[in-house]
Amino acid sequence: MNRRHRFILGIGGAVLAGTLAFACSRPGAGNLTAGDAASRVYVAPGSHDEYYAFLSGGFNGQMLVYGLPSGRLLKMISVFSQNPENGWGYNEETKPMLETSHGFVPWDDTHHPALSQTDGIPDGRWLFINGNNTPRIARIDLTTYETTEILEIPNAAGGHASPFTTPSSKYVVSATRFSVPIPNADVPIESYKQNFRGTLSFVTADKPGEMDIAFQIMMPGYNYDLGRAGKAVSDGWFFFSTYNSEQAYTKLEVNASQNDKDFVAAVNYVRAEECIAAGEAEAVPANYRHNVVDPHSRVAVSHQRTSVRVLDPEDCEGVVYLMPTPKSPHGVDVDPTGEYIVAGGKLATVIPVHSFSRMLKAIEDRQFDGDIDDIPILKYEATIAGEVQNPGLGPLHTEFDANGNAYTSMFISSEIVKWKLGSWEVLDRIPVYYSVGHLMIPGGDSRKPWGQYLVAMNKITKDRYLPTGPELAHAAQLIDISGNKMTMLLDFPTLGEPHYAQAIPASLIKENSLRFHRLSDNTHPEAVRTLQGGGIRREGKRVHIRMAAIRSHFAPDNIEGAQVGDTVLFHVTNVEQDWDILHGFAVMGANNSELILGPGETRTIKWVPRTPGVFPFYCTDFCSALHQEMQGYIRVSPAGSNVTLKANLSERSASQVERARNVANAGSLTTGGR
Amino acid sequence: MNRLSRMLTAAAALLLVALYFLPIWKVELQAPQYPEGLGMYIAVSDIRGYGEFDLQKINNLNHYIGMRPIEAASIPELRYMPWILAALIVTGLAVAAIGRRRLLYVWLGVLVLAAIVGLADFYRWGYTYGHDLDDTAIIKVPGMAYQPPLIGSKQLLNFRATSWPASGGLLAAVAFLFAAGAAYAGRTRGPRARVAVAATALAVGACTTATVHPIAYDGTETCEYCRMVITDRRFGAEVMTVSGRAHKFDSIECLASYVAALDDQQRVRSLWVTDYAAPGTLIPAESARFLRVSDGPGSPMGLGLRAFSVAQPGEQGEVLDWADVLVLVANETGSPRRLERTSLLVGVLR
Repeated sequence: MNRRHRFILGIGGAVLAGTLAFACSRPGAGNLTAGDAASRVYVAPGSHDEYYAFLSGGFNGQMLVYGLPSGRLLKMISVFSQNPENGWGYNEETKPMLETSHGFVPWDDTHHPALSQTDGIPDGRWLFINGNNTPRIARIDLTTYETTEILEIPNAAGGHASPFTTPSSKYVVSATRFSVPIPNADVPIESYKQNFRGTLSFVTADKPGEMDIAFQIMMPGYNYDLGRAGKAVSDGWFFFSTYNSEQAYTKLEVNASQNDKDFVAAVNYVRAEECIAAGEAEAVPANYRHNVVDPHSRVAVSHQRTSVRVLDPEDCEGVVYLMPTPKSPHGVDVDPTGEYIVAGGKLATVIPVHSFSRMLKAIEDRQFDGDIDDIPILKYEATIAGEVQNPGLGPLHTEFDANGNAYTSMFISSEIVKWKLGSWEVLDRIPVYYSVGHLMIPGGDSRKPWGQYLVAMNKITKDRYLPTGPELAHAAQLIDISGNKMTMLLDFPTLGEPHYAQAIPASLIKENSLRFHRLSDNTHPEAVRTLQGGGIRREGKRVHIRMAAIRSHFAPDNIEGAQVGDTVLFHVTNVEQDWDILHGFAVMGANNSELILGPGETRTIKWVPRTPGVFPFYCTDFCSALHQEMQGYIRVSPAGSNVTLKANLSERSASQVERARNVANAGSLTTGGR
Repeated sequence: MNRLSRMLTAAAALLLVALYFLPIWKVELQAPQYPEGLGMYIAVSDIRGYGEFDLQKINNLNHYIGMRPIEAASIPELRYMPWILAALIVTGLAVAAIGRRRLLYVWLGVLVLAAIVGLADFYRWGYTYGHDLDDTAIIKVPGMAYQPPLIGSKQLLNFRATSWPASGGLLAAVAFLFAAGAAYAGRTRGPRARVAVAATALAVGACTTATVHPIAYDGTETCEYCRMVITDRRFGAEVMTVSGRAHKFDSIECLASYVAALDDQQRVRSLWVTDYAAPGTLIPAESARFLRVSDGPGSPMGLGLRAFSVAQPGEQGEVLDWADVLVLVANETGSPRRLERTSLLVGVLR
């Protein structure tokens, strides 16, 4: 080979080697070996997880309960979406929960769980969650893990910035996502700037069954994205992120991204309370529903409300200020000390951090840059504490640990960035897969974070798991933040689309979990408390059947006298008083869901038979060795026939009857346990 | 009676008051599906569950096997036991006040009698509940009865039933000891007294030593016949002698060999083998049902013998009784005496 050939070969070889070296190198991961991570997240059979994690179901409208660190799904709590699996929104007792001023709405979009707090720390009493489409806030009881109350928010459209609790859960606070005419009216859409306004709603939440809108504050016609309560030094204030200060109403993608800065609205709600006490608020007519489950009968009732208190900032000086914030901010988060207000400017190249104390000083010194609708705009330089430079692309949300560190999710660069409060320097970053939305640290939004773990909830899944067609489960990752460097521990798929989450140490609430409903407390009007308590009666075209369910039969289980076109109501009571002994109930061909009955509860399913015949019903939740024998028949006769109404009760064998007689003859002492 | 005697008598009577507040006996049921526990207490005037709904749960479960509901109302003893107890306490205090030794012995005798009658009656109720089953019962296991043990542990289908004195019962036992102590303390050194004490001690001793000693299975005990360490919980065996001594063996075969080689069969009080279906549990050998298997884990001494309290579903192998086992072991292992069934029936079995 001559010299020229050798030269070319040499260059080619070098290029090849360089390419290979470049392609084959992996960025330093700083991760645990697979074995270390596995032992960190392994929860042995029979053991329990350390944390309850409550993740919103997103577009499935429910609340998901996971265990950390295993990532195991423990429960899906029905909130705003009908659930044929257990009868939520199908049985007569829970249908009222989904009533709204627009009628019965069988679905919604849940985004942000909020644990109730005492003194700024999650206390495990309740969990609140928003309905984004038809603005509502739901309360979930953390003894039964069920939705017990839903309040609709009037004068709002899209309840995204919702719900966020104040440090004592005196209020949970909500803001409209979309601005609309208030009250809503038939106006041209292009009259947006003249007619469309936004509202912030302060809902009293510390008394179960009595959620109410304390007041609403009228705001400019922007979009309101997220909120956070001040805590510690900023207790008494509330902060909302806004975007679309351009007041665009079409192609917001472009038109709402024009202004260099939008706003964080700072609300002094203590000042609002003063103004309201002084009579400055107006009672405005509004239609909205308050739906509550009675704790004893477990029957929900929907109440209509017709008026709401609205406060206009021009009538209450000092109630709200606007802090300019780059650029279309999404998340707004307050650090554990209450001093720093971090805004996630999703289109910005920095993370701006406002200082609460500087904000107060700016207000005192009247460092204003004009106003909008009488709301002063503070000078950016006067309130800003610092900016985290070059954190990544697309900062969204920030949570905090107990060591003065902040963690921000970067949607576009698909990573979590750790940085220091006060010095604003980036300490660490870890890639997540892919395109993370919210992140959650247990207690990360409270006055005293528990830290330890970080859950990243992502929007794009692609190749993370075995593929299952075009529609893939959203991916969540569990990251260890207990050391200096963040390390990836676990990757687990989630139901629906978890937006945000809350976590609490299991030890704080585990013992509160109810094992069964006490039959002696059951005040449902059609409850059956003994096996002989069932029966049938007719009220015009409505036939009521009261039935007991026990291992392993229904009492009664042979029913006659129903007619085609009747409204047949099966009121079934699970009379067990034992842990995790459930019964189900379903009738052949019913245009309705099944019932799933917890021990001690009564539920009603409606059936309108369409054809004559004998229809079986059976227990759908495997309850006992004789579950297959737990069945019955109902006879449906043609309309107008004279078949007698009949329902057999629990027929006992001859020897059982004799024994019962002996007991009765022997005289009765107190029989314990009944 | 001297002062100590009277004080002990009074203390014994007062201790019995505890039975009005604390349960006498407890029956506990364990199964995998009940990690939270399940059980019932028998008190002097009531039967109640461990938890508020335990008795209801137990009765619910028992309906599958056709057992009649356990209800305080259907057990008359629960109405008059409080009165009997009151009489015992009052007479005890009277004996302590009066101070006559003879009365104390009578009172002690009545206490012991009450305990024996009480236990016998409890056994009878257990027998009735366990055997008097509804003939339309959903689950019927041939030959199966659901009598809980009088004291100790027994597998009943998927539940392990354990019967044991409860806190009140244990305090009553302490009361007996006080009463016995009262009889012993300040006794006259006369021969009649000594005989009485010795007789009581013997009676008490006989009652206690009749109970089979548990086998430790922790490497500290060795088989008395073959000298191997007893470690396998499925095969332990034991003989109790009339003098209250326990001899332990690592297998049915070794027990059989030992028994066959005994010169004086009269020294044997009771023979015990392990229920293979409930490892660690000893059952009487003479009423046990033996299976000789050719596959599966072999018995320590190689004859494939296993003992059971009840027939097992799907069991395969040769079924033997204790007499058969003695013959088999003697013939297979070349024991010094060649045994035949008839001689065993007469001499060995009781």
